[in-house]
Amino acid sequence: MTQFIDMLLIGIGAGSIYALMAIAMVLVWRSTRVINFAQAGMALLSTYIGFELVQRTGNFWIALPLAMILGALFSALVEILLIRTLIKHSTTGPVAGIVPIIATLGLLGFIRATIGFIWGNQDIQIQPPLSKVGFKIGEDTIALSPMNLLVLLTVIGMVLILGFIFQKTSLGLSLRASAYSPEIAQLAGIRVGAIRTIGWAIAGAAGAAAGLLQTVNGTGAVSPDSLEFSLLLTFGFIAAVIGGLESLPGAVLGAVVLGLVLAVVQIYVSGTLVFIVAFALLLLVLLIRPQGFIGAKAGRRA
Amino acid sequence: MLKKHPLFGFILFGVILFLLSNRVDELRVFQGATVAIYVIAIASIILLTGYSGQVSLGHGALLAIGGYAAALSRNYWGAPVWLTFCIAVLAAALGGYLLGLAAARLSGPYLAGTTLALAIGLPSIANQFSILGGEQGLLYDIGLPPTSLGADFTQYKWYFWISALAALVTIYWLRNVMNSRYGRSWKAVRSNDVAAELAGINVGRNKVLAFTVSAGVAGLAGALLAMTISTVSPGAFPLALSFSLATGAVLSGVTTLGGVMIGAVTLVAIPEIVDTVVHRFESSEAVANNLPGLLVSTLLILTVLFVPNGPVEQMRARHEKRAKR
Amino acid sequence: MIRTNRRKLALTSAVLAVVAMTASSLPAQAASDPGVTSTSIKLGITVPMTGIAAPGYNKIPGAMKAYFDYVNANGGVNGRKITLVIKDDQYIPTTAVAKANELILKDKVFALVGTLGTASTKAISASTQLAKRGIPSLFVNTGFSGFADKKAYPTTFSILPSYQMEAKIMGKFLKDKYDGKKLALIYQDDDFGRDALAGFKQAGVSFTTAIPYASGSQSLPATGAGWISKLKAAGTEVTVLFGVSSASTAALANAYAAGYKTQWVLGSVGGDATTIAASNKAYVPLLFGAKGFSFAPAPSDSADEYVKLFQSIYASAQPTQTFDNNVVAGMSNAFLAVQAIKAAGSNLTRAGLIKTIETKGASLANPFLTPLGYSATSHIGATGYWIGTYDQTGALKPDGGKYTVYTTDSGNGPVVESSYKRPAMPAKGLPN
Repeated sequence: MTQFIDMLLIGIGAGSIYALMAIAMVLVWRSTRVINFAQAGMALLSTYIGFELVQRTGNFWIALPLAMILGALFSALVEILLIRTLIKHSTTGPVAGIVPIIATLGLLGFIRATIGFIWGNQDIQIQPPLSKVGFKIGEDTIALSPMNLLVLLTVIGMVLILGFIFQKTSLGLSLRASAYSPEIAQLAGIRVGAIRTIGWAIAGAAGAAAGLLQTVNGTGAVSPDSLEFSLLLTFGFIAAVIGGLESLPGAVLGAVVLGLVLAVVQIYVSGTLVFIVAFALLLLVLLIRPQGFIGAKAGRRA
Repeated sequence: MLKKHPLFGFILFGVILFLLSNRVDELRVFQGATVAIYVIAIASIILLTGYSGQVSLGHGALLAIGGYAAALSRNYWGAPVWLTFCIAVLAAALGGYLLGLAAARLSGPYLAGTTLALAIGLPSIANQFSILGGEQGLLYDIGLPPTSLGADFTQYKWYFWISALAALVTIYWLRNVMNSRYGRSWKAVRSNDVAAELAGINVGRNKVLAFTVSAGVAGLAGALLAMTISTVSPGAFPLALSFSLATGAVLSGVTTLGGVMIGAVTLVAIPEIVDTVVHRFESSEAVANNLPGLLVSTLLILTVLFVPNGPVEQMRARHEKRAKR
Repeated sequence: MIRTNRRKLALTSAVLAVVAMTASSLPAQAASDPGVTSTSIKLGITVPMTGIAAPGYNKIPGAMKAYFDYVNANGGVNGRKITLVIKDDQYIPTTAVAKANELILKDKVFALVGTLGTASTKAISASTQLAKRGIPSLFVNTGFSGFADKKAYPTTFSILPSYQMEAKIMGKFLKDKYDGKKLALIYQDDDFGRDALAGFKQAGVSFTTAIPYASGSQSLPATGAGWISKLKAAGTEVTVLFGVSSASTAALANAYAAGYKTQWVLGSVGGDATTIAASNKAYVPLLFGAKGFSFAPAPSDSADEYVKLFQSIYASAQPTQTFDNNVVAGMSNAFLAVQAIKAAGSNLTRAGLIKTIETKGASLANPFLTPLGYSATSHIGATGYWIGTYDQTGALKPDGGKYTVYTTDSGNGPVVESSYKRPAMPAKGLPN
């Protein structure tokens, strides 16, 4: 029985990490309609900035929001310099699909090399602000720690705040409109360019939070080529797809489902099957219900 | 004359290459083989993305299928080399067919993400079945060049001849395919799939066919790649390879085969040029390790920003603009 | 018109490629071996300097260069100064082959040294035809048992004992010390881990719980927690970690978080405390009491004459870097290479160097605490391990206060305690 409870907690804990990334990806998708590899790069850079801030202020709780703000600014800068030029110079057609991906890939490489140049290619470490030791229930330590709780609460907080912005504010409406149909939004008087920049800024902040929290919740170590970040990108994407790329609560649900399924495989079947199962799950969802569990049918095609 | 008989042009080019391979040093010959392989792989992406409009970020997985199929058929059945290449093409095409069936219902980010997940999951699939040799991989030895070519004929020259011949044949064949009714129907679906459906094209089947053909070509590239490193292992087909190929396709101009050499040469030349530049300056480790990555990424971003359709299309567009004046 | 332009461009790019190839035609090669002149020797190494495998390993070339520079400053080897050309292969076999080709064909190195990674080394060996060209590949940094086979790899010399050998020695230790206790094993699910399984089987060890993990999955959030959950349920008392450092870190950290206590036994690859410390200083105390295996002197052992020398050389060459296992490994490799080159004499040829290592390699002075197995029939380097326990600072201290080395062969031979006494270090650590 304890193993079952353990498995649930482990699955939800992992799911909350995937959810952080998934939220950032859904954000980028909903406000800009671009798959952004640079998102991972900017999350990485924000994590390093967070590291510097923790070093200088000694306080994680100051470093986190500051890193998010800086992440937002940097993300907006990327949008202005890179994405706008891209859109200006490219045409429609197949190029429009693949060129932004390649450009953001190039940006990822650029960020990685810059980080390596400034901070070196060895791991740097960020100490977690809360304990990672599980809570004790009587004699047993369960698989839930204060750090896990922090991540969970952050995920819930992000979903609530961002959901509010998207659904209940005019900014959110402008964001959704600009992403869905830029020409019509422009006709309606929305300054599409500025709105898109704001969308990227929000995504940058979310990515910064995802990067920092995921790092301190894991081993606390990060390097320019961290495997963790690459894996998070993929698994965050799988989680987002399972839940539906259009919906924030969906992203969280998808992440939890993914986390639980993998925990079951890990504990009751065999740890060697994780990647295969994740991929199979992705394929299954795409074949049976491509819009995800929560997404609306209209949102599937780009 | 070249316009009327493109086959002649290809043959001529082939002869020039073969003559040159005798005059050039071994490193260049080896790189030439690599360029030829990239030409084939990039062409497969141009077919899939440029002509059929489907984005794949995991083409490395299809190359891997080809490479493993070639190695396995050689090691376990002792198949002659040309047969291993055919098996590689068929195996990868089968993989592409299955992937295409799933992909036909997807588009945009879903397809990109799915192919990405495949590329990431591939190594662990390789580790599941011990017949695939795990992380160390399998040996793939195509043997020595035939003695009829002389004792001086080096292994790398042999690789180059095989790869270059394969590249010439593949590009020639692909060019014909893309100018055929299949190519036209792919382009039609890419531009407007609803209209194409109305015009009587079975969109789903069309897309699956594109995936299958593209995968087969990629499989050939994978087998040739395995040949040049004499081994096949999951590490030889990392995510970075899939990204490099997509990059090469964009650099070449993803909508046309004409510039495919540009992407291939760039992928091979840039790292070496950058390496030489970096080693010229006795620099700190931080610089030496990261400057190559920095330069390559910067070049990529600049190219993608300012020549996004590829140089060939760019020239054509400029030419059209001039003609209109 | 349009087609002409497109064709023009295609033709131009093709011609350009051809011209580029021609422009680098080189004259015929000189008669003596490349990479060696009367005043210099050029060696080459391909290693992951960037990429996922880089942290830790990318210190090796810098460490090697530090020792070579020290030797050069003191007159070189037989009057020749050594240069090391370093290429980043990012742990990808195709890149490794391309870089090795550059080293061999463009930089014209005399020999390769310290190549890292099984898949990369195999690919380099096969593709660049090291055997046919007679290019020595010295002291490869991999535990793949195949490299010991002289027939298959006549110019390659390994330095690490194979993983199978390590598991055999570990197995004997487990049976001797923890007989009757519940044993668990966490291992990487590929040839690295399966080599170990074979070794454990040879030693006759049986595990109550064996947990394989897919390479890479140790970096996912839930994986480590899942392992500990399984171990808790099985109630194991001794846990063997035969994986990479990131896996050891995941296991240790999650055990700590779950309040799970066990006796850890770490394999040499994943037991590198400094790599673990690099990932998070807070985890180093978690190693306290864990068992570890090594065959070089411990980096913290300043009483060891080699360690003392290496520490001072490294401190002046790379003052900002920490002195750890990777540094010791790199400098030891370099030391052995220099000894071999010196022993090969003034008339230095590739074939001569290979012959020298085969005939004299086992008797060359070197920092390793196990005997080297080089001979006319074997290209195995180190043949054993000593066992130690980690202290609170993450330093591995030999059990019983002195290095007791256990050796074995790569076949079915038993594990025996070795009576090998390491020869004294030559004066000032320079080749003799």
